Amino acid sequence: MTERVRMAETGAQLLARVAGRQSLKDIGQHVFPEDGGPAQGDVVEFHGVEGSGKTEMLYHFMIHCVLPKDSGGLEVEVVFIDTDYHFDMLRLVSILEARLTPTAEENADSAESETEEAVRSCLRRLSVVHCSSSVQLLLTLHYLEGTFCSRPALCLLVIDSISAFYWVDRSSGGESLARQEANLRKCAELLNKFRRDYGIVVFATTHAIMRNYSSAAGSTPHGSSEASGSTPSWRNFTDFDKPYLCRTWQRILTQRLVFLKSERSPVDQKQVFTVACSTVRTKGVKKCTFYVTEDGIKFIEGQ
Amino acid sequence: MVLLREGLCPGLTVDMVKALQTEDIRTVEDLVSSDSEELAQKCSLSYKALVAVRRVLLAQHTAFPVSGADLYEELLSSTSILSTGNHSVDKLLDSGLYTGEITELAGGPGTGKTQLCVSVAMNIAHELKQNVLYIDTNGGMCASRLLQMLQAKTTNTVEQMNALQRIRVFRVFDVFSLLCCLQNLRACVRTVSASSNQGSVKAVMVDSVSAVVFCMLGGKQTEGMSLMIQVATELKMIAKDYNVAVLVTNHVTRDGNGQLKAGLGQTWSHIPRTRILLQRANRPGAPTSLRTATLTKSSRQPCYLMEEFDLCEQSAEELKSRFSGKRKLDTTA
Repeated sequence: MTERVRMAETGAQLLARVAGRQSLKDIGQHVFPEDGGPAQGDVVEFHGVEGSGKTEMLYHFMIHCVLPKDSGGLEVEVVFIDTDYHFDMLRLVSILEARLTPTAEENADSAESETEEAVRSCLRRLSVVHCSSSVQLLLTLHYLEGTFCSRPALCLLVIDSISAFYWVDRSSGGESLARQEANLRKCAELLNKFRRDYGIVVFATTHAIMRNYSSAAGSTPHGSSEASGSTPSWRNFTDFDKPYLCRTWQRILTQRLVFLKSERSPVDQKQVFTVACSTVRTKGVKKCTFYVTEDGIKFIEGQ
Repeated sequence: MVLLREGLCPGLTVDMVKALQTEDIRTVEDLVSSDSEELAQKCSLSYKALVAVRRVLLAQHTAFPVSGADLYEELLSSTSILSTGNHSVDKLLDSGLYTGEITELAGGPGTGKTQLCVSVAMNIAHELKQNVLYIDTNGGMCASRLLQMLQAKTTNTVEQMNALQRIRVFRVFDVFSLLCCLQNLRACVRTVSASSNQGSVKAVMVDSVSAVVFCMLGGKQTEGMSLMIQVATELKMIAKDYNVAVLVTNHVTRDGNGQLKAGLGQTWSHIPRTRILLQRANRPGAPTSLRTATLTKSSRQPCYLMEEFDLCEQSAEELKSRFSGKRKLDTTA
């Protein structure tokens, strides 16, 4: 915080500040392009319409973080800020159990209680905060700064979602856009500080709620009758793709994942999701497809 | 926005508030966001006092992190699943309404949204003996219909009266009264939970949310959206903080491809955890009271599960009455 406070820091704080945190680079080889994984201090936006798998993907990454090393996880701590009041602990636990059971299968008698204990020890690495207004979010972020200092194992901050207070802020901020965006701008500035000073990785979801009229207008010359009959997937990508949060937030982003719900395949009625990742460091867009099962996300290989 | 004023926290004096105002520090956010050392010099305040005030204010206004393990423990002990009394709907919802969540019924006019709501309320009050708060925004709730459903379940008038007493109905017809009602509810749920003799409220229903919200939307204004989100936030907080199951109803529109989707737009679509789409089953020869329920959003079950149910089936015994008489005529015709 200030020089005077730093003079009295503990060894753990010193380590958190100087040595840096564990890298999350290999967290999602399916999703992120090669060398494009979330390095220290990266900010990743998960953007998509309702039911396009954003939260499911968040659970997938969070579980990878909190799982112990011998189960293939990273064994790091995660803070989850729930502004949507949407966090489903039961779902998280059922995925966690599915990931833990294969390793505990050797001795079936004690497997169940072992899994239960393993789940609990994983969950201890996760902290959950509920926020109900943008002011509370801002103050909570300030409060969390102390937590980041004192816990070097804490690597990931998840905000689901950062756009939750968008309309309330727009309406209560008066005429000027600057004031409407003030709280979110301050939050983004603070997040920028976290990633710079503490090397925290930030994952945040944004709801796709703004229709991108310009791109829709651009595609009309290609023949509206064709377009309305079978909507090509590339158009869906840009349909609700408009970034609408404040510029400060857009500037600190290093990766952007755009989620898309595809049409159901008529064969097995399985809902397939697509995620397109673009980063500031690599060129092009990496796409991957996945579907959601009871045991979490399964990626579809070879696409 | 929390304005700084004397007495907001120990150590925050009138002089301090005034001194801070000269530097344009008026709210808690301003104070917390600014650099305490710089501020202490500018306002010639004691650095130590300022840091202490900042720390207390932060502790007062922030949301505290809960360990995942504790949250899971709490959830296991407090979550209950309320059966809706309708097998098909229960199957879609993975055995019923979960407390702490918002479930939505979407459907066109006459697809049985209100009927389902009333029967769910009746079931929770009668079978599960839990209190229900029913917010009626379109005048669709009818006490005599409720009594009919109860009479079909039991002939004991004492039981009927007990069940009816567990259902409290609020009539609101605009979004402001709805907000007011929900805010009072939060206070009232708290007090009811505290006094154990009455038992806590387990379910809140809003039929329908679109009736009061839809008219506020549209045009180049943000107030409507803001009000909608405020309603949503209130509902979520009631669900989460007091561990209540919330059931809301919504209208439907058609998207670009002519597919039915829930109304109130993209922003609202993120709000409910689970959504069921009700439609008339229009295959030839089917009775007109037959409805299909499709699961269109869920985090527990695969989406697009479909079930059929008969609106009349649950009220088969009381068909002679005038309320369901209309439907009976349809089926015989």
